[in-house]
Amino acid sequence: MHVGIIFFLVILGSVLFHIFTPWYWTDIASNWQGMDDTITLTFWVGGGVFVAVCLFMIYCVFKFSYKEGRKVEYKPEDKKLERILTWATTIGVAALLAPGLIIWNQYVNVPKNALEVDVMAWQWGWQYRLPGEDGKLGTTKVVNINDENPFGINPDDPFGQDDIMIQSDVLNLKIDRPVKILLRSVDVLHNWYVPQFRSKMDAVPGVITFYWFEPNKVGEYEVLCAEYCGVGHYAMRGTVIVQDEQNYNQWLNEQETYSELVAKQNKLEIEKNKIVKKIDLN
Amino acid sequence: MSDEIDNKQSIQAQSSETMNQYSGSAAADIDYVRPAEIPEQDLYHGHSFITKWVFCQDAKVIGVQYFLTAVFTGVVGLILSWLMRLQLGFPGLAGFMTAEHYYQFVTMHGMIMVVYFLTALFLGGFGNYLIPLMVGARDMVFPYVNMISFWMFFIAVAVLMASFFVPGGPTGSGWTLYPPQAILEGTPGSGMGILLMLVSLSLFVIGFTMGGLNYLITILQARTRGMTLMRMPLTVWGIFTATVLAMLAFPALLVSSIMMTLDKVLGTSFFMPTILKAGEVLEYGGGSPILFQHLFWFFGHPEVYIVALPAFGIVSDLISVHARKNIFGYRMMVWAIVGIGALSFFVWAHHMYVSGMNPWFGFFFATTTLIIAVPTAMKVYNWIITLWRGNIRINTVMLWCLGFIVTFVNGGITGIFLGNVSVDVPLSDTYFVVAHFHMVMGIAPLMVIMGAVYHWFPLVAGRMLHEGLGKWHFWITFLGAYSIYFPMHYLGFIGVPRRYFEMYDSPYMTSAIGMNEFISLAAFIVGAAQFILIFNIIKTLKTGKPAGKNPWKANSLEWHTSTVPPEHGNFGDRLPVVHRWPYDFSVPGAKEDFIPQTTPPSEVVHTEVEKT
Amino acid sequence: MSEQKIADYEFKPGFTGMAKDTGSDQTMFKGVHWGKAMMWIFLLSDTFVFSCFLISYMKGRASTTVEWPYPSEVFALTVFGVSVPLLLIAIMTFVLITSSGTMALAVKYGYEKNRKMCGWLVLATAIGGLTFVGMQAFEWSKLIHEGVRPWENPFGAAQFGSYFFMITGFHGTHVSIGVIFLFIYAYKVFAGHYDTQKRGWFTTMKGDYVEIEILGLYWHFVDLVWVFIFAFFYLW
Repeated sequence: MHVGIIFFLVILGSVLFHIFTPWYWTDIASNWQGMDDTITLTFWVGGGVFVAVCLFMIYCVFKFSYKEGRKVEYKPEDKKLERILTWATTIGVAALLAPGLIIWNQYVNVPKNALEVDVMAWQWGWQYRLPGEDGKLGTTKVVNINDENPFGINPDDPFGQDDIMIQSDVLNLKIDRPVKILLRSVDVLHNWYVPQFRSKMDAVPGVITFYWFEPNKVGEYEVLCAEYCGVGHYAMRGTVIVQDEQNYNQWLNEQETYSELVAKQNKLEIEKNKIVKKIDLN
Repeated sequence: MSDEIDNKQSIQAQSSETMNQYSGSAAADIDYVRPAEIPEQDLYHGHSFITKWVFCQDAKVIGVQYFLTAVFTGVVGLILSWLMRLQLGFPGLAGFMTAEHYYQFVTMHGMIMVVYFLTALFLGGFGNYLIPLMVGARDMVFPYVNMISFWMFFIAVAVLMASFFVPGGPTGSGWTLYPPQAILEGTPGSGMGILLMLVSLSLFVIGFTMGGLNYLITILQARTRGMTLMRMPLTVWGIFTATVLAMLAFPALLVSSIMMTLDKVLGTSFFMPTILKAGEVLEYGGGSPILFQHLFWFFGHPEVYIVALPAFGIVSDLISVHARKNIFGYRMMVWAIVGIGALSFFVWAHHMYVSGMNPWFGFFFATTTLIIAVPTAMKVYNWIITLWRGNIRINTVMLWCLGFIVTFVNGGITGIFLGNVSVDVPLSDTYFVVAHFHMVMGIAPLMVIMGAVYHWFPLVAGRMLHEGLGKWHFWITFLGAYSIYFPMHYLGFIGVPRRYFEMYDSPYMTSAIGMNEFISLAAFIVGAAQFILIFNIIKTLKTGKPAGKNPWKANSLEWHTSTVPPEHGNFGDRLPVVHRWPYDFSVPGAKEDFIPQTTPPSEVVHTEVEKT
Repeated sequence: MSEQKIADYEFKPGFTGMAKDTGSDQTMFKGVHWGKAMMWIFLLSDTFVFSCFLISYMKGRASTTVEWPYPSEVFALTVFGVSVPLLLIAIMTFVLITSSGTMALAVKYGYEKNRKMCGWLVLATAIGGLTFVGMQAFEWSKLIHEGVRPWENPFGAAQFGSYFFMITGFHGTHVSIGVIFLFIYAYKVFAGHYDTQKRGWFTTMKGDYVEIEILGLYWHFVDLVWVFIFAFFYLW
């Protein structure tokens, strides 16, 4: 008797916990509402099955607990019942799968007007690069990376010259503009993840991976690394600031392009050479 | 019900029925079972202590050896989980806990529990003990190889444990051992630690292959007379299918271990692309980290079912015996086990939806993954329908089974979230995943293991475990474990990523501090409760009630041995002859509520037993 | 176990008959020796090992950034001043396949209880295998001499050296283990262990010529794997 009651309380507790939980999604700040909806749907269907199965089990425990001489049903198989259950399950599963696949189809097809952002991950931090006026990112190579060229941009690539380099872990994004995140890593696996945007993808060294989202809520969000990347994994954070157009443009203008950086460094180099020459002369 | 014995026999059976009306002397005919195909097996009987208990060739002793070794590693894994929960619930309380240590504990806990505890316990422990007994064989077919198998496993465990004591400590790369980080500076134990892990895994695979060949051939080629495939207990079906999976999945683990070892030792670049570390480009280049993930999960996903299928099989038997009712839809259960096993080779990349592999794979793997849900759901239905109109003994064993159903259904449902590709995107790599797999392949199989221990202990030791202690053990474990992992799903919803040493002050993470503390406290209690079982076993061995023969009134062959506990050779002078499936409980018209598999039809002619 | 008989078992016709035969009591494979069934399943498992190696190789070769070396140049052998592509490999393959033939004959004579012929043929197989391993060692030393290493390769992608040494090494280990067992079995045949049903050194199993067939299965498998390695490394 008490066994059934305790199991019943467990199920009841689970349902109540789900209804009254203070711990639930962060407010969504991107276009992936569909993911949340599919989760909710799965909760209804899956949760319903869970509760139904458990209640049936509890009922059996109440009703058929051991009694000497109880008449027990002897029926090894019931083809009809089994067929009904199989089909019902299949339909239920298909109903859950369909929206999942539809949203995945959106997830892998990036809209044409998406702004490409190069997210470069390293142990343990992030840096970002935006295309310049030509709207295209220059190609990169890990071996090109050095102090003068923090992103490893191919110096010969004309598209790379006007790339805007953000050498901090704060990325600003314009509201309601789709963003295609191009992920790369210089050392190990990482994953650029903002819980409020719902989306994520691993950064894999050697290849460029991508995903997209459309931020639709102004605010400041924390970036987390969601793929274990060594001892500093938990501390690998960054920030995304979603702004309206005016603030965004202001921020954008403050950033430095690759050619500016090269020019600055060349100037520095010349200055340095001058100093060296002076010293030599002296 | 299941497949018939060959036509000849059924004709004879019919004819004998007609004859029966005139004389009882022809009863021998309906009891006809084909004569033995296989000659008696020669057994090596050890006489010294060493050959009897250490290098023993008796599968039952080997099973117990496997069991004890696995339990030892399990206790190590349990202690590691305590340390992890200590850090997560109460950061900074343990002064020695650095991020390095935390990640090493995470890694070792995961690998120990999945491979060295659960796999070894189900296949090595229960497999060795139960297979020969349940199919009616004298022993495993290759006892010597079986013995070597255990000692390989033992060495693998020793190597694994040795990694705690090498410079740099054990590997801290997560149990998935993803390169490049697994073998690079920046991950704890990237020197000797990871090497010993890889060596240990390779040894485990080699040892397991020896054992697995034994299980398969014993089941396929050494069953007793009358034991058709469709008369085997579901336990045997579960272990059989899991072993097939292991034989085909472990090669991928072996290959990836070899390749990673070479990357580490010889500096090859199988998995290593060009890498910039600390401002310097390393010697590596041109390899593919994703290749490792494919190899690993081609092993890793079947591995989930290697743990789950024996649990499915065992729990079916336990439910049937203690509900005093035949398992519902036996044939469906068998095909579901086989089907799940086959499908498990086509779903591996659902662990890699956000790994950067070609995103179009997502469609295929999401579909195959959700297809698996159908046979799995059928199994759940059949378990609960078995309870329906049964005569359920609410004893410790049944409690564990009920606990299994609740936790397994819960974990299975969350599996549908994670298998459904776009739902996985927000949830993957968060605590939702941690909660899911602990519920479905940690707690649920553990429930079955515990149930199986309480069920078969009287056979192994000849004494009944104490029921009262058993119930305490169950309730603390079940309620505690459920309250650990059920709320943990919601941490995943908040967005807390897994494998975080500490959460800092991220707003949505700090909101869960209270929950983390609660989970940690529950984890300490549940862990401690496991020692109730150890106490119970020790107490029972000393003062327990003698079990006698067949205390549960079960049908399958292991309860019908010549002695309890069974001696080497299992069945005394003559092997048993099987006449029916093992689920003839509460047959209408029968005197008792069970008919053992060895009972010939002539002894139960007046019952309405279904033909099996 | 030595002499299994299929006790009055009648195989049934058709698909359902096959299903019934498969599920019938005692054994699934009627009259098949335990050891032989074990070897088949082991080989199935081993097939997965080699498949994983070869698929990884294909993936590695397809995704490398540096060009893959041209096999007929790398594996050429200079004989009397003429560079002949794939000469050594052709001989190696020929030797290994021939040894498979002698193995098959050994099995045949074994079942005929022709101790001498069986023994000589097993020995011939062992020597064939040993020759193969020797030639492989020669090829390795030639490549190493030319600067190919597991971690680097002067002819192109470094992965070429990695995969080549790993896969041929793993296969060579299989051949070497096979050679060791062939020598042991040759001794056992000549010593008459299979005629007198002498028990093995470690096991309680009685000696039987079926063991030659079991070893033969392994040997043919190793041979078959070589054909795939040959195709993927030398002809692709």
